[in-house]
Amino acid sequence: MTTRIIFLILLMASFRSHGQQTVNHQLIARNLGEKAMHDGVVLRTFGFAQSFSEHPPIPGPTLYANEGDSVVLDLFNVSQGAPHTIHLHGLDVNQENDGVPHLSFEVHHMDHGYYYFVAPHPGTYFYHCHVVSTIHVQAGMYGVFIVKPSDGSNTTWDGGFTYDQEKLYTMSEMDPLWHEDSVMEHDHDTSQSIHEVSIPEYHPSYFLVNGQSEQQLLEPDIVLQTAKEEVSFLRMANIGYLANRVTFPEELNAQIISTDGRPIVIPELSDTLWISPGERYGVLIEPTADLIDSIEISYVNMNTLIGENIQYVPVLVSGTSGLNEALIERPFELYPNPSADQFYIKSWGQAYDGIKIYDAMGRLVHVENHNYMDTEKMDINMDVPKGIYTVEILLNQVILDTLKWINR
Amino acid sequence: MPYKCFNPSNVFDNRNAILSYSISDTVSLTVFNNDMIPHRIGSTELGITSGLIAPGMNETVSIHSAVSGTFIYYDLENYPNNKILGLAGMIVFRNNSLASFYWNLKEIDSLWINNISSNNQLSTEYNPKFFLINGNHNPDINEDSSARVIGNVGDTIYIHIANTGNSIHSIHFHGYHLKIVQSSGHQSHQGRIKDTFPINPMEVLTLELVPHQPGEYPVHDHNLIAVTGANIYPNGMFLTMLIEP
Repeated sequence: MTTRIIFLILLMASFRSHGQQTVNHQLIARNLGEKAMHDGVVLRTFGFAQSFSEHPPIPGPTLYANEGDSVVLDLFNVSQGAPHTIHLHGLDVNQENDGVPHLSFEVHHMDHGYYYFVAPHPGTYFYHCHVVSTIHVQAGMYGVFIVKPSDGSNTTWDGGFTYDQEKLYTMSEMDPLWHEDSVMEHDHDTSQSIHEVSIPEYHPSYFLVNGQSEQQLLEPDIVLQTAKEEVSFLRMANIGYLANRVTFPEELNAQIISTDGRPIVIPELSDTLWISPGERYGVLIEPTADLIDSIEISYVNMNTLIGENIQYVPVLVSGTSGLNEALIERPFELYPNPSADQFYIKSWGQAYDGIKIYDAMGRLVHVENHNYMDTEKMDINMDVPKGIYTVEILLNQVILDTLKWINR
Repeated sequence: MPYKCFNPSNVFDNRNAILSYSISDTVSLTVFNNDMIPHRIGSTELGITSGLIAPGMNETVSIHSAVSGTFIYYDLENYPNNKILGLAGMIVFRNNSLASFYWNLKEIDSLWINNISSNNQLSTEYNPKFFLINGNHNPDINEDSSARVIGNVGDTIYIHIANTGNSIHSIHFHGYHLKIVQSSGHQSHQGRIKDTFPINPMEVLTLELVPHQPGEYPVHDHNLIAVTGANIYPNGMFLTMLIEP
C-alpha cells in the first residue's frame, strides 16, 4: 500500500514538470514596413512585429510553444489599410480560429483579435495573413510557429531524435513590383468574400532564405556551423510562390525525418529535397568530415519548371562538437562558395592590400594587389580547373587570414 | 477560346468525364469523335491505347484494373498539344464504398491554347492565368458535388486528385492532415500524413481524410498565384470542405 502511494505522487510530479502551460504571444500587424535587400534597394513591406520601435521583420518573429500548451495569440492591427488575420497553417485549429476572413473573423485597424488553440504535434508550422493572401503574404505577413515536444527539449518529438542544435530556414521570394503602393494599397470591401484587386504577373527578383539573400546569407544566424558527429535539426519551410530544390553536401548525411508536423515513418536518406509552397520538412544532419561548402537552394518556377535562381547557405564543419569557435570569429568571409571565376571578400571593415590564390598542390595561381576595405568583388579570370583553392588575405605581406574557395 | 473535352454526352461541357468504378468492374468504354481532327484515347498507367479515332468514327476499349487507385486518361494523339487543349480526365477504381471526391487540376494559358489551335505550335513560355478544378474556379467549384467535400466527423473520405495540367500544384488543406494512400510520382511517400501536397504534371494522388472536427475549411493551391484569376481573389484553385458534427 505504501509503495503504491509513493508511485502515484511521483507520477503526478512528472506530469507537472511537463505540464500544460498557457503561452501568450502578441503580433502587431503593420503595413508601412521597410526591408533592405542585398543590393541596397529598400522595399515597402507589410509584416508582423513585436514592438513599435522596429520595422516588422521578414519573416515575422518565430513563435514557440510546447506540445499540449494552450496558446493565446493576440493580433493587434496597427495599420491603416485592409484588415488582417492570422491563419495557423498546419496547426489544424477549429474554424473560428482558422483566420480565413469570411469563415472566421478579421481584425481591423486598432482592433485586437485573439486566436486560441492547443499546440498539437511537435513540428514546424506557418502563421500568415489570409486577407487577400496572395498580396499580403508576398508583402511579408508570414512567420513560423514551432511546436517543441512537451518537455521543450532538443528532441524532434517525444521519443524521437535528439539533436545538439536546430536551424530554421524559411524560403520565399519578393517581386519589387508587388511592393508598390498601387498593389499594397488595394481596396477591400469587408462585406464581400470575393475581391477585385490588382495582381501583377509574378517575376521575383529577390530569392530569400530567412528574408536574406546573396551576401546577407553570411550572417551567423544563417550559416550552418557545426562539427563532426554533432547533430543538427534543420527546419526547412517554403512560404514563397516557387518550388525549392534543396541540395545538401553529401558529407552532411542529410536524413529527411518529418514533414508538415508529422514524422516520416521510414526516414529518407537523401541529398536532395523538394519543398513546394506551404510545405515544411525536418532534416537531420550529422557530418562525417570537415567541410566548407554550402546548401544549394534552387527556386523553381511552378509553371515552366525552370530554376530561376540559386541561393547558397554556407556550411562550415570543423573539428568535433564544441571546438569550432575559431570559425565564428573569422574576420574575413568568402562567398558565394562554391562559385565560378569570381567571388566576394567581406572583411567587416578590416583593411587589406592583396590576395594570393593557391591550388591544391600549393602552387601560386593568382595574385591581386589593391587596397581593399569591406566587401569587394574579385573577378578571377584565371582559367584554372574546377577544384579547391586556398585564398590568402594579406596586408603588408602579412597573412591576415586563409580561406578555402571551391571553383566550379 | 478553343477548348476540347471528353464528355459523357453530345452536349459540350468544359469538364472531362470522371470515370469512377468498383475494382471488380470491367468497363467497356466507347469514344465517339465529334471533332474535326483524329484522336486516340489511352491511359499509360492502365496500359490502354485505343486505335486512331477518325472524325465521325468511334473506338471501344476495355478497361480493368487489378489495383485500386486514381489514373489519368488523355488524348495520346498529338501529345501534349491535344492534352493542353483540354483532353485529359481521370479514371478511378475503388475497392470500397467510401465517400469519394474528384479533383482534376488544370491551368489555362490562353496564348498556348490559341497557338495550338491556329498552328499546332508551342512558341512561348508557359504562363497560365487561370487555374481550374474540374473545369471550374472558385466560387463555382463549390457547386460541383463531385468536387466539394461534404461529410461528417469520423467519416473516411477519399479525395482523388489528377494533375492534367503543365504546372506543379501544392494543395494545402485547412483544418486537417490527410494520409497519402497513392502517389504515382513518389511511391515512397505513401503513408505520409501531411497538410500540403505537391503534385507534378500528369501525376495523381489519392488522399484519405478522417475529419476530427466540424467546420467549413478551405483547400487551395499554396502557390498563391493559383488562387487568383482575372484580378479576382480568391479565384482559381480554391474551394471549401463542409464537415458536419
